[in-house]
Amino acid sequence: MKIIEFKNVTFMYRGNSEPSLLNVNVEIERGEFILLTGPSGCGKSTFCRLLNGLIPHFYGGELKGEVTVLGMNVKNTPTYELARHVGMVFQDPENQLFLSSVEKEIAFGLENLGLPREEIKRRVNQVIKYLGLENIREKAPYELSGGQQQKVAIASVLAMQPEVLVLDEPTANLDPYSSLELLNIITRLNRELKITIILVEHRLEMLLDKVSRLMLMDKGKIVVDGPPQDVVLSPEMKIVGIPKVIEVYDRLKKAGYEFGHPPLSPEDLAKAVRRVIGFHD
Amino acid sequence: MVSMTEIVVEVKDLYYSYNSQPVLQGVNLKIRRGEIIAIMGENGAGKTTLIKHFNGLLKPKRGSVKVFGIDTRNASVAELSRKVGLVFQNPDHQLFAETVEKEVEFALRNFGFEEEVVKKRVEWALNLMGLAKYRNRSPFTLSVGERKRLAIASVLSYDPELIIFDEPTAGQDFLQKERIAELLNLLRTRGKTVIIVTHDVEFVATRFERVIVMSQGKIIGDGSFREILSNSEILEKARLLPPQIVKCAWLLSDIGVPRDTLYPEELVRKIEEVIRR
Amino acid sequence: MNYIFEGFKFKKKNTLIHDLDPRAKFIYLIMSFISALLFTEPIPLVIIFLTSLPLVIIAKTLKEWSRSMKSLSLFVTFIFILNLLSMTENRLNYAFSMVFRFLALTSAFSVFFLTTTPDDFMSALEEMGLPKEYTLMFTMSMRFVPTLARDLQIIVDAQKSRGLELEKGSLIKKVRNYVPILIPLIIYEIRRSIMIAEALEARAFGALRKTTSYTELKMGIRDYIFIFIVVFFFGMLIFLKIFGYLPEWMMIKLPEII
Repeated sequence: MKIIEFKNVTFMYRGNSEPSLLNVNVEIERGEFILLTGPSGCGKSTFCRLLNGLIPHFYGGELKGEVTVLGMNVKNTPTYELARHVGMVFQDPENQLFLSSVEKEIAFGLENLGLPREEIKRRVNQVIKYLGLENIREKAPYELSGGQQQKVAIASVLAMQPEVLVLDEPTANLDPYSSLELLNIITRLNRELKITIILVEHRLEMLLDKVSRLMLMDKGKIVVDGPPQDVVLSPEMKIVGIPKVIEVYDRLKKAGYEFGHPPLSPEDLAKAVRRVIGFHD
Repeated sequence: MVSMTEIVVEVKDLYYSYNSQPVLQGVNLKIRRGEIIAIMGENGAGKTTLIKHFNGLLKPKRGSVKVFGIDTRNASVAELSRKVGLVFQNPDHQLFAETVEKEVEFALRNFGFEEEVVKKRVEWALNLMGLAKYRNRSPFTLSVGERKRLAIASVLSYDPELIIFDEPTAGQDFLQKERIAELLNLLRTRGKTVIIVTHDVEFVATRFERVIVMSQGKIIGDGSFREILSNSEILEKARLLPPQIVKCAWLLSDIGVPRDTLYPEELVRKIEEVIRR
Repeated sequence: MNYIFEGFKFKKKNTLIHDLDPRAKFIYLIMSFISALLFTEPIPLVIIFLTSLPLVIIAKTLKEWSRSMKSLSLFVTFIFILNLLSMTENRLNYAFSMVFRFLALTSAFSVFFLTTTPDDFMSALEEMGLPKEYTLMFTMSMRFVPTLARDLQIIVDAQKSRGLELEKGSLIKKVRNYVPILIPLIIYEIRRSIMIAEALEARAFGALRKTTSYTELKMGIRDYIFIFIVVFFFGMLIFLKIFGYLPEWMMIKLPEII
């Protein structure tokens, strides 16, 4: 079921001379877990901001073509309406936590939507339980680590029960363990709650085996789009760096060993190597 | 004529606390001229606090820090900064000038360099970081990547002997990271001593001859990238994940792949060896 | 100097006053305020000032309150002398009254802020009709103060690392040295505010004119009793003053010694 559609979308920020998105055509189905990546300035953030209406309503500019999210045309739908269905988490957790405690923060979006107090309480407790935030529910943002802050940011958006979750480089300021923890949570949201995820990241290694689709952007265009095992073998991959496990796979393939599909993680690679060994025995 | 084994930073029993919370708990460290070092560890391990002692921003509560022979307790930040360049993580914390050129000049003027030298150095730094064409533009009109290069240019311009980068690869894309690696190589060939603070294990793997790992205010590991990045105990304690190649090597260690395999080519060779057996 | 602020900073304690509904305390504050402004006679003003004392004691904040009051002694002396010099008739009386008016006002505010969190204060204002935008503005400003302080420190560190010496030079030079500090700070915070605005939009801020509220302020018996006492007491005072029924002893003036 198609829930997001970009038709011939071209967008240029006001004051710029070059468009940030050039003739983008994409269809996204419900339940997909998409990793969107590309070099700095390729248009990933612009793409994301079209999904909840920040473009064109918050950021002015020339928008050509059509972006439809859950049947709503982004040009004609205000951000607060799209925000009910498309949750967005940004890079710096500091700028997403405005209030003095975690539970107030989670309740904030629901207050804005005018939900009755009982419903707000119910959802806040639900989300706190689901994400394991019970022991920090009364803490203030500055008392939390970066990883915890991002969890709270996700929680505050999750409470609004969006069908789509967009995350723009959420692990940029986090250390490796916290990053992995956060990415695992995002994977859970997709697998357990069936939320459609669009995740923008540079750190591909941790994600290739979790996502269902890899979209590579460069200079405002989508240059490759497909399942990760296909995209990692495309020549365009070198723009974002070929993952080390693929490098190993390539070399072993050239040396004549048969691996089947490319490994998307060290675990994958190790398993494939064992298979080949078993074969050669 | 300085010897290549001259000690440029000497840290003895360093203790530091902030708001009565201990941050550094007895750090001992010697850094020699020309070394290229990565200091790693989780957020809060004390890495940034440690490097701030190298240019005098912080003074030891207990113990001592000597940089190029000067005890930091007896020197001002300006004095020490003359020899120690510190590139902060976020360039937006320092850009302020009307033009890119003036931004790069700032440190040179603060240190009292002559006009001739200032002009030459600014030219050199702008060209090095590929910013010459923006020289008359406002720093705020540059892209994020360009601003980062500008911050680096403004530190390199006065040619410090020791250059420290705080999280240089955070938020950078693949190409930007490659450029940073090239820059570090260039600095190495010019005999500079370089320290980077990072938790990017993939960037450090195979590039840094010396890796120091910190956890909870102490140094828990100090060795080559090969020794440190394949040591599961140290990595776990510092909340670092092993590089991809190492992870794969560990998973295949029972069939003969050595646990300290760091390079992709190495892994390929070892796997081939195992297969042929 | 720092101790002045101590008397206005919330400290979490388990007392009757802390547990009172912020609206009840706000009513006390307003009535205190109005009464203090209405009177120019010293004795009523002293009484109004003294009403805050039992509250301070019950709230177990005597230490912070008294430290704050003590450090205001400079202001108090200033007010006293100024009023002594300005009025022609009944100078001493008037100066004395103004001192106690000042003390009555600050003491009432102190009681309020020592026992009420900024959040509760905002909730009280919201319940009483202040639009959410304003309370959010206030809450967010408070929440970002430590963040701003941290940013400032990083900027100072970064510029010092480039050889900027803040203490050196003539007065003019010293002022100019703050340009490399203020410009990055201002621009950084402007950028931050744009990101905050994005995040607010992403949480549907502005979707409705009237939002609902997660936190509930419920008045209990204690609050109603407190409000009753406050309104009765100050209401009486105000009534007596306005309709001229003040008793003789309240209108005693200090002799004209000076």
